[in-house]
Amino acid sequence: MCALGVPVAVPDEDAELVRTAIAGDDEAFTELVRRHKGTVLRSAARFARNPAELEDLGQETFLRVYRDLRSFRGDAPFGHWLSRITVHVCYDALRKRRREEKDVSLEVLAAPVADPSTGNGPSAQLARMILDQAMSRLKPEDRLVITLYELEDRSVREVAELTGWSETAVKVRAFRARQALKRHIGGDDER
Amino acid sequence: MNDKRRDRRDVELDRYIALARQAPPDISGVERNFETRVMARIRESREQQDSWYAWAWRLVPVFLVLTLLLGGWSVLYSPVRPDDPMATLATGTQEVALLDNLTGE
Repeated sequence: MCALGVPVAVPDEDAELVRTAIAGDDEAFTELVRRHKGTVLRSAARFARNPAELEDLGQETFLRVYRDLRSFRGDAPFGHWLSRITVHVCYDALRKRRREEKDVSLEVLAAPVADPSTGNGPSAQLARMILDQAMSRLKPEDRLVITLYELEDRSVREVAELTGWSETAVKVRAFRARQALKRHIGGDDER
Repeated sequence: MNDKRRDRRDVELDRYIALARQAPPDISGVERNFETRVMARIRESREQQDSWYAWAWRLVPVFLVLTLLLGGWSVLYSPVRPDDPMATLATGTQEVALLDNLTGE
């Protein structure tokens, strides 16, 4: 696996499948979806609130891939191109639902964070839930950068490539997002 | 004091992030037969697009007939205008002069 979580052994096969799919072979596109659905869904799941939303994000990603298939030049592996589309679809979704999540209650955060020094921290699942809640209060670009940089542990360069932002912008946004996230989790929210 | 608090929060956040990384999101339910649903949606959107194009083509003769009718109507029912624009203006002026004469102004 390469750094972006994409299998490196198949780019040529992917390119061939892309060519066949552009020629109108639905079976070739089905094979592309079958190969890459895991990567796309795992990535999108960091942004989705529930399975229905995850399904929507996944479908929207592959629909966009299908529409833009002719613009795939093949100078980078198909998986990288697909990852960029996934990130953009998720970012669009975050921006759309920004208004809905403004009023999310942070009551869930209060209990686990109240006693951080005991050593009996929250379970992995609970930690994820708490982070999700706190991250829902971040700006879409902050949430995107925290997810890619911190949760998915990608490098600054990878985040820059995926988002289309400069590396400096990624660093600045990651720092600001982390500060905001600490405020939200710590409970001294400005709002 | 503030620095200590900042450190504690950084550690706390790192702990949450590390734990959250350990809990990969469960995608098994969505992953099952996902490609079938994607292809169904692609076919559906293709059909919608096709039907839109079909409607657009079906409307072409309607607009063609409408254009011909409007063209014919404008040729048949438009009032005859003199070729010279000055004559048009003069006609208007004569009417005003006649009206002035009749009203005694």
